[in-house]
Amino acid sequence: MSVLEQPLTHRRRPARFVVFGIAVVVVLSGLTLRLSSLQLAGGREQGIAPVAPVGEARLTALEPVVSTRGLIYDRAGRPLVENVPTFTVRVRPADLPLSRRPDVVERLAGLLDTTPAAINATLDAGTTSRFDAIAIARDVPETTARLIAEDGLTLPGVEVTVEPRRDYLSGTLLTQIVGYTGALSAEGYAELQDSGYLPDDRIGKAGVELVYEKELRGVYGTRRVEKDGTGRTIRVVGTETPPTAGSSLVLTIDTREQKRAEKALLWGLKKAGLTRGAMVVLNPQTGEVLAMVSFPTYDANLFSRGITDAEFDKLLDDPDKPLINHAIGDIQPPGSTYKLVTATGALADKIITTSSTLLSKPYVQLGVTKFWEWNRKGWGPLDIYEGFGHSSDTYFYQLSNRIGMDRLAYWARQLGYGSPTGIDLPNEARGLVPTEQWKMDTFGQQVFGGEVLQAGIGQGYDLATVLQVANSYAVIANGGTLYRPQVVREIRAADGSVARAFEPKVIRKVKAPTSVLTTMRKAARRVVTIRHTYNLVDLPIVVAGKTGTAEFGLRDEDGVLPYSHWFAGFVPKNAWVKDNPTGDVSKPDSELAFAVFTYDSRTLGNVATEVAKYYLQLHFGIKEDYRLPELLKRTNFYQGRT
Amino acid sequence: MGVLRAERSAATGIAAKTSGVAWRDYDVQLTVYAVLLAAIGLAMAYSHTTAQLGEALVAGTTFTRGLVWAGVALVVFVLATAFDYRWLRTLTWPIYVVNLALLAATLALGDSDAASARWITVLGFQFQFSELAKILMILVLARYLADRERKLDSLTSILGACLIVAPPWILVMLQPDLGTSLVFFAILGGMLFMAGASLRWLGALTVAALAALPLVWTYVLHDYQRERLTSFLDPSKDPLGAGFQLLTAQKAVSSGGLLGAGLTNGAQNQSDLLPVQTTDFVFAILAEELGFVGCVVVFLLFAALIWRVLAIGWRARDPFGLMVGAGIASMILFQLTVNVGMVLGIMPVTGIPLPFITHGGSSLISMAIGLGILQSISMRQRRAEW
Repeated sequence: MSVLEQPLTHRRRPARFVVFGIAVVVVLSGLTLRLSSLQLAGGREQGIAPVAPVGEARLTALEPVVSTRGLIYDRAGRPLVENVPTFTVRVRPADLPLSRRPDVVERLAGLLDTTPAAINATLDAGTTSRFDAIAIARDVPETTARLIAEDGLTLPGVEVTVEPRRDYLSGTLLTQIVGYTGALSAEGYAELQDSGYLPDDRIGKAGVELVYEKELRGVYGTRRVEKDGTGRTIRVVGTETPPTAGSSLVLTIDTREQKRAEKALLWGLKKAGLTRGAMVVLNPQTGEVLAMVSFPTYDANLFSRGITDAEFDKLLDDPDKPLINHAIGDIQPPGSTYKLVTATGALADKIITTSSTLLSKPYVQLGVTKFWEWNRKGWGPLDIYEGFGHSSDTYFYQLSNRIGMDRLAYWARQLGYGSPTGIDLPNEARGLVPTEQWKMDTFGQQVFGGEVLQAGIGQGYDLATVLQVANSYAVIANGGTLYRPQVVREIRAADGSVARAFEPKVIRKVKAPTSVLTTMRKAARRVVTIRHTYNLVDLPIVVAGKTGTAEFGLRDEDGVLPYSHWFAGFVPKNAWVKDNPTGDVSKPDSELAFAVFTYDSRTLGNVATEVAKYYLQLHFGIKEDYRLPELLKRTNFYQGRT
Repeated sequence: MGVLRAERSAATGIAAKTSGVAWRDYDVQLTVYAVLLAAIGLAMAYSHTTAQLGEALVAGTTFTRGLVWAGVALVVFVLATAFDYRWLRTLTWPIYVVNLALLAATLALGDSDAASARWITVLGFQFQFSELAKILMILVLARYLADRERKLDSLTSILGACLIVAPPWILVMLQPDLGTSLVFFAILGGMLFMAGASLRWLGALTVAALAALPLVWTYVLHDYQRERLTSFLDPSKDPLGAGFQLLTAQKAVSSGGLLGAGLTNGAQNQSDLLPVQTTDFVFAILAEELGFVGCVVVFLLFAALIWRVLAIGWRARDPFGLMVGAGIASMILFQLTVNVGMVLGIMPVTGIPLPFITHGGSSLISMAIGLGILQSISMRQRRAEW
């Protein structure tokens, strides 16, 4: 029909067509380029992870599998901690669309009995990636947790996970030894990230939970999971590496012994109206710690359940420092218990013999200063047994004067003073044994004569922990071996086999002849039999030891210094066999050594000694009560110094 | 030359009788490319519906509605092809008035979503008249520019074009439909450019428009529009809000890889996590399911389509045909650029559909009208032999 083309009625502009065509090419090339960078290069430069569609294993990820934390038992196998499963509600911001967030947060707030503002604050404070699930509520009751889990479809981004909480079964009894676990701090995580720790992990913070963290934690495993497009785990493909459950600890502590020691110490402190004290019970043959009490203390469960700021501040502000283990972390002047060092040193260096005597006097004068005997009279000539037995200051002033500061320091170190024992607990103090060098380094002065005298009776610059004092008496009791105290007896693998058996660890063998140590044991027994320590006289147990009344701090308005009480000692084998003790201190067979310390105990009689007595009563199950509570009355005067 | 001018119906009637319909000039390729693209769009609807329900042919689903719209569009396409486009010359002003009326009606009676009135629902079907407005605008503008063919060097022509576009543009902005109003600009600019308007004046006006941008930004745009526009720059700044769609879309695109996950296998589809996935962000699903290869094929189809449109415009014997071609080509190119660019994260988020692929009857029917008229133009370029 129509063959001829109609005439053109306008000017065509080929150039503009070409430009348009170029525009098309440019646009499509640009889009293709961008597309290829997203699809072919994996999009990782933009920080977008490739996504696996449902049902296809395009993206599998390795996830850590948490291992169960090892348990802690006392030496008799009684469990001290439990891993209790609890429910934690978490929100993963990446999976919660912003438009749904207010609604979801409100529902959660209602279910969890909190406010939307609180939940939002937690979510907004999360500094880690928005692909991490942030915990908004822990230890949620089971019904609530299940309600939330069921409602998964209407609560996007909300997950309920089961996490173990550490339950400390013994409450405050063993807190200082067991410790507690807490959240990993940011710095801690930065350090431990490479060892496989997760930002949300709990880590031991005190006690053996801290020291044996590695053994208790075990090794996390890994498993392969498939994730779908939203980042949710849809399927567990398999366990790549099974987790290694943490090893368990068997402590040297005997819970019964611990309860007895705690009962005795708390009774004494309460009776005398005191607020701080500590006690250690050791086995001198092995170095095992049978009991360790520190007062005041705290409940580890406060931390494992989540301590509030108010509660924590209360612990921090308490002047008696409940967070410190006073048995190993507190250094105090050891007082007369230190005379053990002076006596041992004098005998070992042959400055005196068992038969030599020294004259005790009302005071010893050095220059213009009078150094008084505690009873201001003296007892005339004394041998070592009587000198130690009466705790004669002037006797020991003369001894220390002859021994000299540095030699005294040598013997102190031999018996374990001045360095940490190396016990497997954190924050052990080292104590102080003054020497000429030390005085020069610290004060830029030489040692004065009077300071040597003070050092010999456990005052002056001498500082020791309760454990060091106990350990020094343990050395005497076992005949000369200074053991390292241990609180963990065994480490058991998850299958129950022994991963590390108990082995006593020797710090040193004291370089004193055994005869010297025997003498000291007898001297310690004399302390009781000489009726000087009248607390213990009537006790039907063969007990040996030494009291101490240690002055410290600043003088009061009467010019009197406050003082604390010590008692350190041991009992030989068969110290009490149903009213028929055959215990003999000349034998180095003691299995029980102890030290008690009561702080600022200005009482009539020695509180520490009463506590030790009560403890021994409980330990041996003696029915009669030999306690003398009237001795525990407070007094303002410096009286009854032992 | 100016033989053909805006005249009374009689004149056009004679002209209609003197040029016949040359079926050999029917541009088969145009139809083929358009149908292929529409088929891909239906495939996307199929994928979405299957992911939601497990089967596709259930009444009321995206897929079945898509089928219905495709059918209607086909009919409209045929009708438009048969229609002698030269009648449009007479109908220009009525068309313009109807356009304004429909847009006004949308504002007055429209159903809204997220504080905007964009469509009217009749008999269960949604009509988005702004889509139709684009085509109608092209026709009106084509008429105007064709008539002023020799005076295009002057500023007045350009300004006149702007004035014609202004009222419908304002009505669209009031909805507020930012996306469509941007397309209006693209159409205006493309048509002016291809009509041969003075580049000097075009350049000057562009500069003036850019200068006015800050004012528009502050006083005209709503908060959420501003937010949407800027979130593409760094979607991770607001990953839960404006950036959410973008990040999810990009995740989907990335996961497509070379060959895609396969139709209906897209994770985003399955999880229903991508909002508006059947409409504006459908390209993300396409990328995820058909992969890089699939996307490139789609790009090539669009390129071919635009080429055919321009070819018809080139071959047109009268300026009206050229203008219509230019307008439709500009519209397709612009929407393609912005929509795909938005999904890929290099363009701001605007509610602009991807022609043929985005599910929506109004868009498809508007395209059908436009392409049908182009076919009509294509076939009527020969004179009937006496």
